[in-house]
Amino acid sequence: MPESVALQRLREAARDPRAYVAGWRAHHPGRRVVGVMPMNFPREIALAAGVLPVYIQDDQRPVAEGRAYLPEFYCGYTRNLADQAATGRLDHFDALLLADHCIQLLGASDVARAVGDRSVFFGMLISSLSDSWAEKKIAEMMGQFRGEFEKLSGAPIGDEALTRAIEAYNADRELLRRVFDERAAGDTTWSPVELQDMVVSAQVMDPIEHRDLLVEALAAAPRGERDDRVRVHLSGHLCHAPRRELLEVIEETGAVVVDDDLWSGRRYVQSLVPFTPGEDPMSAIGRWYAERNVDLPCPTRVQHDVDWDAWLIDATRRSGAEVVVHLMPKFCEPHMLFYPELRKALDAAGIPQLLVETEHEGIPLEALRTRLEALVERALRHRPAYA
Amino acid sequence: MTGGRYLGVDLGSTTAKAVVVDGAGKILSSSVVTMGAVSRAGMQRAIDQALGEAGLTESDLQGTVSTGYGRRLVPGAGRTYTEITCHARGTAEMVPGVRLVIDVGGQDSKAITVGDDGLVRDFAMNDRCASGTGRFYEVLARAVDVPIEGLGDLALRGSDELEVSSMCATFAETEIVSMLAEDQDVADIASSVHRAIAARTLALVAQVGRYTPVVLTGGVARNPAAVHFLSRALDAEVTVPAHPQITGAFGAALLARDGDRGRPVATDVRGADEMFPRPRGHAHDGHDCSGCDGTLGPGTVDLGTVIPAWR
Ligand code: SF4
Repeated sequence: MPESVALQRLREAARDPRAYVAGWRAHHPGRRVVGVMPMNFPREIALAAGVLPVYIQDDQRPVAEGRAYLPEFYCGYTRNLADQAATGRLDHFDALLLADHCIQLLGASDVARAVGDRSVFFGMLISSLSDSWAEKKIAEMMGQFRGEFEKLSGAPIGDEALTRAIEAYNADRELLRRVFDERAAGDTTWSPVELQDMVVSAQVMDPIEHRDLLVEALAAAPRGERDDRVRVHLSGHLCHAPRRELLEVIEETGAVVVDDDLWSGRRYVQSLVPFTPGEDPMSAIGRWYAERNVDLPCPTRVQHDVDWDAWLIDATRRSGAEVVVHLMPKFCEPHMLFYPELRKALDAAGIPQLLVETEHEGIPLEALRTRLEALVERALRHRPAYA
Repeated sequence: MTGGRYLGVDLGSTTAKAVVVDGAGKILSSSVVTMGAVSRAGMQRAIDQALGEAGLTESDLQGTVSTGYGRRLVPGAGRTYTEITCHARGTAEMVPGVRLVIDVGGQDSKAITVGDDGLVRDFAMNDRCASGTGRFYEVLARAVDVPIEGLGDLALRGSDELEVSSMCATFAETEIVSMLAEDQDVADIASSVHRAIAARTLALVAQVGRYTPVVLTGGVARNPAAVHFLSRALDAEVTVPAHPQITGAFGAALLARDGDRGRPVATDVRGADEMFPRPRGHAHDGHDCSGCDGTLGPGTVDLGTVIPAWR
């Protein structure tokens, strides 16, 4: 069955956000576009101000001038961002925004501020979500975001506009989440690259346009049943999409990815803004941020009663994943900090796992293929049929 | 002799190995061909030699499994397995009860933990550089101008107290050259580098856990100094099978015999042709196979023979 035009358009937006932004501007003269650094800013506020918020992607080009600004021990994404900033590849944005995330990303935003002439807004969203003052601090910061976007657009943001923006992103995320749930349940055969294109395009596009295309793409898709390939859960890859060839190699080894907690996957789609009609949309947005970590724990946040490792074990049980492949960007400190706990928990649960440290510059695919195949063989040979 | 003949082929980065077993898993013949670089001709020679020694042709085989870096290129292989699975399988058969297999090949090294059932429990591979691999020993041998076969004995004669700070194959060479320029004793240099490599291997082992009994396989296992320093680093006896280079091919042959479900050979996977360019109009694609007789000697291999390598 030929691929749908809708799917092609989603893929184009995911792989060339710059071209998408140019097209969007042509259709929306005078409107502004803001480049948003992952993963915590509620884009609903920007959209309600008439601004298109685009999550900035790793454009996978080699880091050249960026090397002068950030050393090699920064993760590939931040070094790539520094390179994009230093070489004018962020010029299609009117402004840049970072809501507190991790120290390395803060470094990249400083580079963007230093080398570019566009404004960079940094919002210090509280990362310690168990503290008694967290709710108040979140509300204050959300209010500040609203004020900044009112300044940027030159008009106040009304509650109706916020409500519409919440509904638009919720509808898009909900549909995406359904696709992920169907994959975890074994009812669909989207490849990890196709799903990544769907999610990354959602991070780039206007949510209403994205959802319309997604509806079309899903309608044209054949449904498939799960076969007996080894079922893999992909974990990690904060906070940018892994290289596509890496995802392809995983399935070439005779495995099937059934679920993930990647930012370019379930982590993006898992949480909707918990809005009920009639309530204050800003407080719903605040709760979205506070509860996001419960829906899918993030190593950049601190919350005493939430464990990524426990979530991961539950996720493998839900999807029937037999092995976990950790995709850890070098040198992502938040992930490195949590990895020992994840490893210990999976070992205790008897779930085979493989750590793949990804690099912006790419990784030797043949060596990776061998390690993945060995993991698959290990899972197969431990299946009861082999006993 | 038990019925059925099965071939295991291990196409590594510098050597091709082939083993023929019978239906009871007994080794009937084996071959090791040094290729210099990956070569289809070298691989074919290894297969032909092993089959020839066993008095067989390919049509006599009931199954073939391939493994190693070039596993997808082996003609006639119905299934492939990774080196990790095959080394574990072959070593567990040669040295029953093994818990940790350290395989040091031409271009990579692996630490594999093995369970009671002889199956892989966990593994780690160095995948980014030649540090601690056979290639690294070649660099050392070249730098100190000693044939590779004599490197181990030289290292065992020296003192290992020189500081070797770089484990990068390229930088280590310059470091060795500067030690030579300082008139350091060649045996001391060789010994110190062996100690440093063993420490590197220990880091690999740390990823999977230190278990005993330990078996060292791969071409480097024939280097007595490598075995000695690894034993010391691990603080454990290290056993070397009688023919450490063929454990992977042996494991592959056993898997062929087991009739296990491996991965169907697919040679159209990305990267295969770039890694292993197909020969263009040559029967032998130019790689130098001279100086290697390509065999471990005729006849069967006694699996009971293991060399206790604790020194
Ligand atoms: S969370 Fe990790 S990947 Fe994301 S910016 Fe920070 S260091 Fe980089």
